[in-house]
Amino acid sequence: MFNKKAIGKVAAVIIAVVLIAAIIAGIYYFYLMPKGGPIKNPNTLIIATIGEPETLDPAWAYDTASGEVICNMYDTLIFFDREKVDSFVPKIAEKVPSVENGLVKDNGLTIIFPIRQGIKTHGGGTITPEDVEYSFERAIIQSRSHGPIWMLMEPLLGVYDLSELGNLSDPVEAAKVGDMIDKAVEVEGNNVVFKLAKPFALTAFLQIWSQTWASIVDKEAAVASGAWPGNKDNWVEVFAKYHDPEVPELQEADCGSGPFKLEKWEHGKELSLIRFDDYWTGPAKLERVVIKYIDEWSTRKLMFLQGDVDLCYVPRQYSSEVEGAEGIVCVKNLPTLAVDAVFFTFNVDPNSPYLGSGKLDGNGIPPDFFSDINLRKAFAYSFDFDTYIKEALLGEAKHIPGPIPEGLPFFNPNQETYKFDSAKAEQYFKAAWNGQVWEKGFKIQILYNSGNIPRKTAAEILKHNIESINPKFHVEVIEVDWPTYLRAFVRSQLPVFIIGWLADYPDPHNFVFPFMHSNGDYASAQGYSNPRVDELIEKGIAEINPDKRKEIYYELQRLYFEDVPSFIIDQGLGRHWARDWVKGWYYNPIYPGAPLSTYFYDLWKGY
Amino acid sequence: MISGKAIRSPANILPFFFYLSKIANPYIRVGLQGVRMVNNIKTYVARRLILLLPTVLGVTILIFAVAQLFDPVQRASLYIRDPKQLRSIDEVIEKYGLNQPIYLQYFSWFSQVLQGNLGWSQSLHMQVIDAIITRFPATLELALYAAPITIFLGIRLGKLSAVKKDTLIDHLTRAFAIVGWSLPAFWLGIVLLAFFYGGLGIFAPGRLSPWADVLITTGEFRVYTGLYTLDAILNLNGAVFLDALSHLILPVTTLTIINVALIMRIMRSSMLEQLGKTYIIAARARGLDDKKVIDKHAAKNALIPVITLSGLLTAGMLSGMVITETIFEFKGIGYFAAHAATQLDIPAVLGFALLTGIIFVIANLIVDLLYAYIDPRIRLA
Repeated sequence: MFNKKAIGKVAAVIIAVVLIAAIIAGIYYFYLMPKGGPIKNPNTLIIATIGEPETLDPAWAYDTASGEVICNMYDTLIFFDREKVDSFVPKIAEKVPSVENGLVKDNGLTIIFPIRQGIKTHGGGTITPEDVEYSFERAIIQSRSHGPIWMLMEPLLGVYDLSELGNLSDPVEAAKVGDMIDKAVEVEGNNVVFKLAKPFALTAFLQIWSQTWASIVDKEAAVASGAWPGNKDNWVEVFAKYHDPEVPELQEADCGSGPFKLEKWEHGKELSLIRFDDYWTGPAKLERVVIKYIDEWSTRKLMFLQGDVDLCYVPRQYSSEVEGAEGIVCVKNLPTLAVDAVFFTFNVDPNSPYLGSGKLDGNGIPPDFFSDINLRKAFAYSFDFDTYIKEALLGEAKHIPGPIPEGLPFFNPNQETYKFDSAKAEQYFKAAWNGQVWEKGFKIQILYNSGNIPRKTAAEILKHNIESINPKFHVEVIEVDWPTYLRAFVRSQLPVFIIGWLADYPDPHNFVFPFMHSNGDYASAQGYSNPRVDELIEKGIAEINPDKRKEIYYELQRLYFEDVPSFIIDQGLGRHWARDWVKGWYYNPIYPGAPLSTYFYDLWKGY
Repeated sequence: MISGKAIRSPANILPFFFYLSKIANPYIRVGLQGVRMVNNIKTYVARRLILLLPTVLGVTILIFAVAQLFDPVQRASLYIRDPKQLRSIDEVIEKYGLNQPIYLQYFSWFSQVLQGNLGWSQSLHMQVIDAIITRFPATLELALYAAPITIFLGIRLGKLSAVKKDTLIDHLTRAFAIVGWSLPAFWLGIVLLAFFYGGLGIFAPGRLSPWADVLITTGEFRVYTGLYTLDAILNLNGAVFLDALSHLILPVTTLTIINVALIMRIMRSSMLEQLGKTYIIAARARGLDDKKVIDKHAAKNALIPVITLSGLLTAGMLSGMVITETIFEFKGIGYFAAHAATQLDIPAVLGFALLTGIIFVIANLIVDLLYAYIDPRIRLA
């Protein structure tokens, strides 16, 4: 039998020893241990941010956290020329295709990339034209639903989804689709040739081909990780097994040739990359990059202030807590490629719980309330843009006239825009529904997804200004979680909603299509359709001549103002926060993770 | 003495056995009791373990049923995180079977489980079983340090407070209990972190310093259990041991301060109840040493409710300590379970529910066995 008293004493001694040892250890490590110098972890860049990557499979990744890692692990054929969004440098390709150098042919329907020889992969092989062909074909075959590969398919196959080309489980149709994929990307000697299904603006094409979904994978390594082996004999089987799988094949694989290799990924905690010494332009200056996923701001802040973190995600509302701190630098007013807007649904689902009485009787709105342009204009004139940007975004945003953000080609700085004007708002309210709106009043609900304080403020501003125009006008601001918001959105139940859009690629088409085309992501949900607008958008992306494109996009920006299917409330301005010893950083708004992160190859630590 | 000759005689052999049985009888009785007790314990443990299955099944069915309160579109929000993915929502619902009847979804999940596959966690971007295996050691390590210290301190302080009732010590310990219990974990954690790490630059968040992390990544330090202090001992690496220990100090302190109050108060009231009982008064009246009366008699009996509470507390800690894990970057099972739940990641939530169910059943079992050990009147049947 054990002596319980003795056990208690032993336990007490153990606990006391452990505590004392721990305190001594802490004091030793943080006070007495010789310090390595003023720069902490001199060869390792440590980033503290929120939200970890969804995957490391380049064909699957559509989130910025994944893109931030992938763009440093994989190379693309071409890449953005540092800060520029419409100028490129060759990487795996030897040259950037252009009409002038003869690599863009057939009125832009054939685009040729000569492949650089001798580029080593992380697995020890070399990148070949066959690897390039395989990378694109695999991506298109996989093309998971809600993924990014629609961007490759739009120019190459003329569709957004493979199912638009035929039934993938039917042998004849599957073979036809397989054949189309096969012919879209071909190897000709040392060149890889892309055959486009329809004319596509060259700049937009090159922008898409410069991003992570167009990463070149080492076929051998990819196949070893369970990806499509490259067989083309039985397309039904290929599609059944490799199209839209539940789990990405290259989820945690490293099949790249980029400047950094995957070292480890501890889910939810951190991901670390280690320098690839055989990188074709020479090894990176940094030995290691560690991205820590720290949700708690207080913890992140303390680590940043202590110098244990080099780049830190600082939410706008907490800026003052670290601004001006010793050793911390902040670069402000970086124009992002993200816009927020207030949208109107032209025909709300009659069963929507957000319609009130469902009639124009002062206690609700009819489903087609916003089909009257006067109301849309009245709402737009009721929004106090300046106050919103000042109060909700601490002045760090721009008020732009249309969906094309400032900084993109064909942005029209002189386009007329809506400004807060309660007199004009009143005038349009009086005209709406032949005066019935003014006479009977209405009650409307505006939803925003929980946690988004600026959107809440925007809704509150609308509420305040509209209610002060006429006491019969009532606006209710409702906060809902993302699942509820999503359900209401999908069912067209939201009369008015506030949401944002982040660029996939920095071309105006990527903004006018979702905002204005009748099949666009937002416009279709709103029920907005203008045949002239659709025609211009389709013409704009197919046009190669920049001058003609300018005309088209200027016209579209004018039509956006005229039709008011939605109105833009801000284009965000970002901040980059870093320790002062981080050098080599530059800003390209399309880089995943920007403005916090960047292409790590160009960074180093020092004074 | 009995001679060998006498034993060999058949006439004398029966009295010999009778004599032998008389000597051995008390020992045999105790032995039989022991065997019976061991058998009882075995049966009891087996029965409780068998009960584990319906318990865990019940929990998973309940979670599945609750998840059905969300319609398929809402559950698809796990996969649709950005408005630009909205055009694929119907495909997502179809692909993940979100519009199937609940029993089909459950059986589909359950058949996977029977094959040892807990499914894919969309919120954690990994297999659920891998998430549990990789995240549980952090929680376990934290609990292994925090729970014994909490329980030990709680019992000692509770006893002290009861014995010194209405003295300054009693008032101070009770005040400490009230303050400790009232402190929100997130606040205390942040204050400790701000003071020690932010102010003094010691006790950084996380489980290891970057240099120690590199040792693991490069394979110079072998991870056997995922409990870094234990692994450091197995690697004979004192530096990593001290580093891991220094990272445990603040989270363990937070957990101890928050939880010790509960044990202390229960121990105090239980102890006071025992001290007022007649057997204690009688023992004192007989002139027994007061220390012996308190330690051997009163404290032992007062421990029974504390054991229940300690079991639940330890099981609770092992199921994850969301706030502490989040603030101190000690990301274990609690952090991941909370993360999964907020995103309606049903496979992950079910996986964690399985783990929690198992932990609680085992914790209850250990508590019951401890009851029998502390109070012999309690028999396991």
